[in-house]
Amino acid sequence: MFGGLKERLQAARNRLTSSIGATVTVPADTAGTDTITGSAPDAPVLPSLVDKVKILIIDRELVVSEKDLSEALSDLEMTLLESDVALSVSDAIIANVRTSLVGKHRKIGESVDALVVASLKSALLTVLGNGFDLTEYIKTHPRPVKILFTGVNGTGKTTTIAKIGAYLKKEGFTVVIGAGDTFRAGAIEQIDVHAQRIGIKIIQHQAGADPSAVLFDTVQYANSHKIDVVLADTAGRFHTKANLMSQLDKIKRVMKPDLVIYVDEAVAGNDAVVRAAEFERTIGADAVVLTKADMDSRGGAAISIAHTIGKPLMFLGTGQAYDDIMPFLPAQVVDELFGGGA
Amino acid sequence: MLDSLSASLKDALKKLAGKTVVDRAAVDELVKDLQRALISADVNVKLVMELSKAIRTRSLDEQPPKGTNVREHVLRIVYQELVRLVWASTDVKLEPQTVLMAGLQGSGKTTTTAKIARYFQKKGMKVGVICADTFRPGAYDQLQTLCQKINVPCFGDPKGQDARKIVKEGLVASKDLEVIIVDTQGRHALEADLIQEIIDLNKITKATHRWLVIDAALGQQASEQARRFHDAIGIDGVIITKMDGTAKGGGAMSAVAETKSGIVFIGAGETIENLERFDPDGFISRLLGMGDLRALVEKAEEAMNTEELDVNAMMKGKFSLRDMYKQLEALNKMGPIKQIMSMLPMGNMQLPEGVYDVTSTKMVRYRIIMDSMTGAELDEPGLITSSRLQRIARGSGASPEEVRELLKYYKMMQRTLKGLRGASGGKFNMQRLMKRFSGMQ
Repeated sequence: MFGGLKERLQAARNRLTSSIGATVTVPADTAGTDTITGSAPDAPVLPSLVDKVKILIIDRELVVSEKDLSEALSDLEMTLLESDVALSVSDAIIANVRTSLVGKHRKIGESVDALVVASLKSALLTVLGNGFDLTEYIKTHPRPVKILFTGVNGTGKTTTIAKIGAYLKKEGFTVVIGAGDTFRAGAIEQIDVHAQRIGIKIIQHQAGADPSAVLFDTVQYANSHKIDVVLADTAGRFHTKANLMSQLDKIKRVMKPDLVIYVDEAVAGNDAVVRAAEFERTIGADAVVLTKADMDSRGGAAISIAHTIGKPLMFLGTGQAYDDIMPFLPAQVVDELFGGGA
Repeated sequence: MLDSLSASLKDALKKLAGKTVVDRAAVDELVKDLQRALISADVNVKLVMELSKAIRTRSLDEQPPKGTNVREHVLRIVYQELVRLVWASTDVKLEPQTVLMAGLQGSGKTTTTAKIARYFQKKGMKVGVICADTFRPGAYDQLQTLCQKINVPCFGDPKGQDARKIVKEGLVASKDLEVIIVDTQGRHALEADLIQEIIDLNKITKATHRWLVIDAALGQQASEQARRFHDAIGIDGVIITKMDGTAKGGGAMSAVAETKSGIVFIGAGETIENLERFDPDGFISRLLGMGDLRALVEKAEEAMNTEELDVNAMMKGKFSLRDMYKQLEALNKMGPIKQIMSMLPMGNMQLPEGVYDVTSTKMVRYRIIMDSMTGAELDEPGLITSSRLQRIARGSGASPEEVRELLKYYKMMQRTLKGLRGASGGKFNMQRLMKRFSGMQ
């Protein structure tokens, strides 16, 4: 999904490189000629003029100034904004790159490219964190591992649960799903069909029932049948609805989840930051799943959300089939972004 | 819903208003603030750049018309350019038509389909819905359940695989109906076979309108997706959903600019009634804190019949408890007070959260208390003596203090309306009224 961002970053990097390169070579040249004229009389005494100049140029360190960067950085900012990185987050990234580049001494022999790439890379890696290995987590924790899924309406919680269910089943775990969305019309039918298709037991009540009760029953079932993982669906809700958020709080109290997963879509814009922060504040989140990554090749929302709540991205949803889900590996993604010249 | 965008826009404009001289630097600063506000509302970056360029050149080059100062001139340009951004509102005609719904997965097509069905039904049209989503499990059940609630026929086949066949059959089955809404499966523009499917559905239905449903939170991707949908079936209207969250719907604005269409409806809530018509002037006015009176009037008209409330008598100062009762009832029908307040021109006023909830529960209490009054008391509140007050309190299960509070509230309303009478004099001070409002709790 990061294909688009990759292209853009590549372009921004080239611009950044050329602008530092350009401003830097000019003083280097004049310095060079100055030295030649200035030290001409001493030439016979010392080993060789040519050598001296060579040493001067190669060992000379140059200071990158803020002015050199301003235009290139504003280009980079546009790139990030166009890739759906939220305004506040792109501000933070730009500031990070600026402080790490400005005032930096750079040897002329050192490649400008490497310098820029290193600082962008470290900025992005800081933001994206370390990823989250779900299978490892399940293996090292007492069963059943209870996982609660939250998020706003229409981000793809139910589909994601079906996908993760299928993924875990393939990894050899036993799974039970709790149909905790008792509000939206057709939600129970939807997850029921999914569960049947992938062959997973589902616990459900009637529409309009108390979701806490449904999920409590699901946990009870898992306990008595020695099931490894409980996947708990919930109704989509906006962070602005206090009542619904306290309902979620109750669910959390009743089922005591080991992991709370926040689900959002890759195509969300600036609001992704606002709502992620609010969910994190009210009920917390241990990891993030980003859906609909196949719609958008830029992946800015991943960067925004990870930066805002500082929680690792666990999976990316990349399509409508059950196996369209992939674990998220930040180091690999960042390496890919800077693939080629890096 | 638009609180924070509107706050940052207003801040930008306030800054301008505080300047003694409006020069190039001031305009540049305003433009920069506008850019940040719009980008953080998810409006397409390129669009924002075009808009800000237009505002800058027009502000600096155009001569302000006689009688207006530079500041007003700049404000007007900002307003005009913003209105141009959201284009014209699309007409929703009350005539036989077929509507094809299109959009990304999870943008709220099915819920919106039911809401639109309800909208036409309320306007007295015969409405039917066809469910052409054969992919997502539970889609038919969802639409069926929603339609049952409002008694609208819903055609579909939960086991069917072929959306084209279902739509053909559905059209035959609903040929007696006036408005047919076709809900489709969520798809994004990179899925070629699904795009082909919607092109076919468009041909089969000969749809009068093809409306694109856009999630208010959709970011920069909106332009691209809208363009592809537009290329495929020719979008002629955009519906913004989920405006009850904190998202600002800038993506939808970009979609509108891309398809050269208008915003038809705004969805803001999970119940079937939460759908509003869209009016660009009102939208921008509300955004800039100038109030959307037209939408308020439309809402009020919908909620009350003219006979129910004698406005003229009220304006003459004849305002009895009976009138207040009707008024409270009408308010109740109009929806949450918060929504109504956001349409009033209140400038930069911020109301403390919680005021709304308290007042709306209080309204219910007031009505119960008034139910315990006699007809004579309702017409002439002056009659209420302390023994009558005791009786009313006992009859409504309220404390005497509550009854007194109600009478105090009545007097306040009466005074306010007297002030309103000289409307041209501008005595009607919303701010003062609201202050009293919050003082009441």
